[in-house]
Amino acid sequence: MLINPVEKDQKRIRELELATGETISDCYQCGKCTAGCPASMDMPPSVIIQYLKLGQFDIAKNAESIWSCMACLTCSERCPKNVSPAAIIEGLKNLHLRDMDPRVNLEAMDRDFLAHSPQMAIISGFRKFI
Amino acid sequence: MSEKPVRIPYYPGCTMKTKALGFERSAMDCAEVIGFEMDELKDWNCCGASYPLTKDNLMGLTAPTNILVEAERRCQKEEVDPNLITLCVFCYNTLKRTEYAFGQDKKKLETVNAFLDRKYEGSIRVIHYLEYLRDVIGFDNLAKMVKTDMSKYKVAPYYGCLLLKPKKEIGLDDPEDPVIMHDFLDALGCKVIDFPAQVDCCGSYLVMREPKKVSKLSYDILADANEYGAETLVTACPLCQSNLDQSQGDKVQFADLDGMPVLYFTQLLAVAFGLDTKTHQLEEHHIDPRPLFEANGSDSESK
Repeated sequence: MLINPVEKDQKRIRELELATGETISDCYQCGKCTAGCPASMDMPPSVIIQYLKLGQFDIAKNAESIWSCMACLTCSERCPKNVSPAAIIEGLKNLHLRDMDPRVNLEAMDRDFLAHSPQMAIISGFRKFI
Repeated sequence: MSEKPVRIPYYPGCTMKTKALGFERSAMDCAEVIGFEMDELKDWNCCGASYPLTKDNLMGLTAPTNILVEAERRCQKEEVDPNLITLCVFCYNTLKRTEYAFGQDKKKLETVNAFLDRKYEGSIRVIHYLEYLRDVIGFDNLAKMVKTDMSKYKVAPYYGCLLLKPKKEIGLDDPEDPVIMHDFLDALGCKVIDFPAQVDCCGSYLVMREPKKVSKLSYDILADANEYGAETLVTACPLCQSNLDQSQGDKVQFADLDGMPVLYFTQLLAVAFGLDTKTHQLEEHHIDPRPLFEANGSDSESK
């Protein structure tokens, strides 16, 4: 795939950096985040960050894998450059959620799940998916 | 004991009053034996369960700040040390990281205070029950209070993620190679099963969207513990407990693994103290841990 940095995306990437407090260009693609990620993502954290570094904002933002992040923070803990992929992923998720684009349909929610799950799972789920 | 027990302000959180009642009750019963009292805050709200990872999200700090204000007022009024004890790992992580964020950035604290129209001064230190046992009581002292012979139990300490990470902000132990729960189990006299998956993620809130993935992650952890010879797993997190325990209902994923009970560390502590565990809701677990204790005849057996 031929990658051309998109000029207008630079502004959105800077906004993402401001929102998350992360410096995306610090990443040097060592891949420790991806190696430690338990979420078996199709597009893993280091690749999402590489797309951002290449100025391909929409590819990163629309990656389905960001919704599989469980915020276990293994990636952030292991990053030798002090970048938090988990925070960047949450920043991308927030862009969808703040656009009123939820990823869990409450109406279709399994009643059994709601009855049996600890409150903390439901509240965290609300925060991350709705 | 003639001395009045130490009273520590305690924040339970939602799960502790519902699905994890056994965790709270066992922790309180054990505290009584050890000689301290968890004094629940009068007016508390949900902490929000997950700490916001993006720095712009100050709304996520309002709920924990409300709790910290309550605790601060209580401590000032009663002239006790500004500590707040927690049991739930999500609450601990959220409150502790809020404490850290305000310590680093006073401006953030001022903004949240202004929004809430409250005045949090930033004095509260958030501690976990396990941390209190290690740092204030001391595991060697705890060992002296054990009444039951625990040496027959092969127990795997499972840490999960949020009790330890991020290390810079939580600072309880090394997130890659923790020992606090090992040392706790050692003090109880259990056979401690060190296993590689002890800090792997159980899937957390992903259970809301991808329960199959959570089953798989839970299976990997339990199968690993089983391979290393564990009979049971202890944890401090109600969501880890729920995921690891409830996932075992997935008969397809767990076809080749016998049921393994997943206990809160305080439930095991209560057994070690020889306490009556009737109210500790052991029967509520998907994999009933009671046969394990009955088979080993732990009830009131002296050391």
